[in-house]
Amino acid sequence: MTGRRRSLYGLDEDIRDHIERETQDNIDRGMTPADARDAALLAFGNVTLAMEDTRAVWVPVWLDQLLQDARYGLRMLRRNPIFSAVVILTLAVGIGLTTAVFSVVNAVLVRPLSYPHAERLFWLATYDERAKGGEEVVVSPEFAVWRDQATSFERLAGFFIDSEPIDTGGAVVQARMAGVTEDFWDLSGARFALGGPPRRGEEGVVLSHAFFERWFHGDAAVVGRPVVRQGTQTIVTGVLQPRFAVQLPPPLWFTRLQPAAIDFYAATVVRRAGPRALGRVFNVVGLAKPGVSMARIREEIDAIRDRETKAHGPFYGPPRLRVEPYADKLIGSARRPLLILLAAVVLVLLIACANIANLLMARGSARQREIAIRTAVGAGRGRVLRQFLVESAILAAAGGAAGLLFARTAIAVALGLIPNAVPRLAETSIDGRVLAFTVAATVLTALLFGFAPAIVLWKASVYDLLKDSARTVSPSGGGLRVRQALVAIELAISVVLLVGAGLMVRSFWRITSYPPGFTPDRVLTLRVQFSGLQYREQTARRAHLDELLRRAQSAPGVEAAGLNSDGDASMLLTVEGAPDLPREQRPTAILSAASGGYAKAIGLRVVRGRWLEDAEPLPVFVVNETLARRVFGAEDPVGRRICCLPWVRDGRPATVVGVVADLRYASLDTGSVSELFVDYGDAGLFAMTLAVRTTGDPAAAAPAIRTLLSSVDRTQPLFDVKPLDVTLADSIAPRRFNLVLFGTFAASALLLAVIGIYGVIAYAVAQRTHEIGVRMALGAQRRQVVRMVVGQGMAMALTGVLAGMAAALALTRVLTSLLYEVTPTDPATFAAVTFLFAAVALAACGGPALKAARVDPIVALRCE
Amino acid sequence: MSTKGDDRVELLQGTLDLLILQTLLPGPTHGHAIMKAISQTSDDVLRVEQGSLYPALHRLLKRGWIEFDHGTSENNRRAKYYRLTPAGRKQLAVETSKWEKLARAITRVLRPA
Repeated sequence: MTGRRRSLYGLDEDIRDHIERETQDNIDRGMTPADARDAALLAFGNVTLAMEDTRAVWVPVWLDQLLQDARYGLRMLRRNPIFSAVVILTLAVGIGLTTAVFSVVNAVLVRPLSYPHAERLFWLATYDERAKGGEEVVVSPEFAVWRDQATSFERLAGFFIDSEPIDTGGAVVQARMAGVTEDFWDLSGARFALGGPPRRGEEGVVLSHAFFERWFHGDAAVVGRPVVRQGTQTIVTGVLQPRFAVQLPPPLWFTRLQPAAIDFYAATVVRRAGPRALGRVFNVVGLAKPGVSMARIREEIDAIRDRETKAHGPFYGPPRLRVEPYADKLIGSARRPLLILLAAVVLVLLIACANIANLLMARGSARQREIAIRTAVGAGRGRVLRQFLVESAILAAAGGAAGLLFARTAIAVALGLIPNAVPRLAETSIDGRVLAFTVAATVLTALLFGFAPAIVLWKASVYDLLKDSARTVSPSGGGLRVRQALVAIELAISVVLLVGAGLMVRSFWRITSYPPGFTPDRVLTLRVQFSGLQYREQTARRAHLDELLRRAQSAPGVEAAGLNSDGDASMLLTVEGAPDLPREQRPTAILSAASGGYAKAIGLRVVRGRWLEDAEPLPVFVVNETLARRVFGAEDPVGRRICCLPWVRDGRPATVVGVVADLRYASLDTGSVSELFVDYGDAGLFAMTLAVRTTGDPAAAAPAIRTLLSSVDRTQPLFDVKPLDVTLADSIAPRRFNLVLFGTFAASALLLAVIGIYGVIAYAVAQRTHEIGVRMALGAQRRQVVRMVVGQGMAMALTGVLAGMAAALALTRVLTSLLYEVTPTDPATFAAVTFLFAAVALAACGGPALKAARVDPIVALRCE
Repeated sequence: MSTKGDDRVELLQGTLDLLILQTLLPGPTHGHAIMKAISQTSDDVLRVEQGSLYPALHRLLKRGWIEFDHGTSENNRRAKYYRLTPAGRKQLAVETSKWEKLARAITRVLRPA
């Protein structure tokens, strides 16, 4: 390369010198200086060609021409900064959004799990399809039987996720924990920064690095030290490496926990095995031996269950078995929405491409004369086409680079807003695969919109263009029709996206529409979970709760306070006086223990009868409307007696004293559930939610209330302290995630489509100025001109919208799983979108139409 | 341009490189002089397309058979002076013997003994 530079440097000087010497020679031969120079130039021939030939020795011709094209292209783009900026920004949004979504898809669906041998991991669970949520769990005695007898696995690990207080020495912290059995460490590929896993068969705690840093100040001496968790002492045996994070399924519903990072892992030893033994509830994952199929695993576990049940009777666990690849279980329902989002964002990118093609075609028409001249002086069609492609490539490269930056920002923002909306979402990053995707997307878009203007110019005749110097080709040429078709397609795609977004918005409204009286933005919730020996007795727990309530109620700025166990048990109901039903057909309900102040604190409306009072002399129930409807139909439930299993108070039925409105106070997107409330004095009270209605902003009142209540007993920390509306919003985080993304795509699509319509109509008007002038000179009214322009635009828009509606009708079915109480063909949404598009298209045509109406025939005609 | 135009012969493909190398054998010189030398030595029979001289020079430069210095000529003009490299000298020998072989062979075919 340096050789090339050195040699080519001064080439023109060399040639000039050569010609001067020749001239001198000619003069010496007796020519006049002028003749001598002419003769020398003639003898040398085409200087430019000679120089190009010489350059070609060093630089391959195509590269040289490419550089020329690039330089020329850059000059053209710099000359039209606004045009270039619009194109690059459009692309940046299109490619940026696509890249951001792909990086999420990459993190969640493509990148393998962090587990070693993830492909051999299987999820094993038992379930009961009649139970709430069909929770997939395994009871520990059954897990132990599988672990001890199954031969399909190299390792079989059980774990459960919970929240519990741990004494860090300085403070008692409510921490997210995972209880894990021995095989978990190997199976998850756990890597330790300090210490190691607890020894087999022994208890112990392993801290996550973040928790170790935050609460143990990174003090390595913590390893080997005892800590108090749940009131008993255990040893910290190790600290995990900072970057070690293992993917686990979300916590089971009855824990009322949102997915979050695990603070510490506790070794859990399972000794009791076999049917008829009680134990805890696990999630189970097995590492299959190489070559063992899923069917083989299922066969073996089924055989073990059969054998054990025949010999010893049934396990205390759900009856049915499920085996599936672990990755499927982890990602599960997140796959479909993500793929839908990816498809949606690709549509946005297509619209962006169509728009840019449109812009380039418009500019291509304006450049027809330039192209004609270049062709006339010898540029081949291939060379012209390449020039266009190179310009597109430059635009695409700039847009792609900007898009990458945009994607980085978008990812950071999205992760900050909704970090746990999708499993593994936090792992989202821009890696090699994402970069490759972006580059591929950029190249494809460059090809897509690069060819468009070339097509328009392909047919144009050089002769016609140069001959007719004042005007460019007529607007009715193929270019405008192609552009109108492009805009119609853009509109159709936008309609599909907007209908999808509209349906999701409607679902969101349904979910977040609160009944009157329910004002979660005025309620602060705090959770407490009893641990430790001193709270073994119900009376101690009750006393603690009463003290919390008393202090909360008398705190400044508090209107009311109440307790609720948040429905932690599913019950079988028997109605006194009703015909005796077999167990499977008996109604079920979720039982919650609540205090007398709860209804007022949270805004629960009493429909009939009364709410609970503290210290009810006799056991009573309050039911919700769903239960009343399902169990009692049109009859009044107040005064009826219900027996409720397994919650028993001497096995006697209790009287229904009131009916309350249905209220989704813990999680928003559950359907209507039968609910039953009892006085909190009549329940177990292991974990409770304290709801406090504040006069002002609950978030502002939170620190004071927390401090006031924490001092009751600092070993029982209050956690998940947040306004109820925040909790509710968190409960639909995946929906919000989908809605925000889909909504962004739809809005971008709409914006791009509007720009598209406007661009085409404005261009058509500009091209037809002369014609409009003639029409007006001949007596056309301004109104007629406006109607003509608007008619042309609306014809194009309506074609697109109709096609989009048809496509949307066919496509929105895939959204069903993302909707809530809205059908995929919801007429209101379709009508609203049609109206919106009509209005928007009309507005986009309006500007150019008015401009057309203001055409002064004299000026327009004089232009000629 | 020249009265003897009809006697002139176009150079065979590839021979220009050989002639340039031969011309540079006595010592470094500049482009115009190379061209003149070829014409004069061949009694104006061989006509060098002036436009192809520079591409040829750069081909030789690229192959490393010649190199150049910036020099100042008689009338105080800056010019590139080309000269043979050792590799170029070797190449000249190879090319010359190749050419002689070819010329002998062609002569034998045209004038059978």
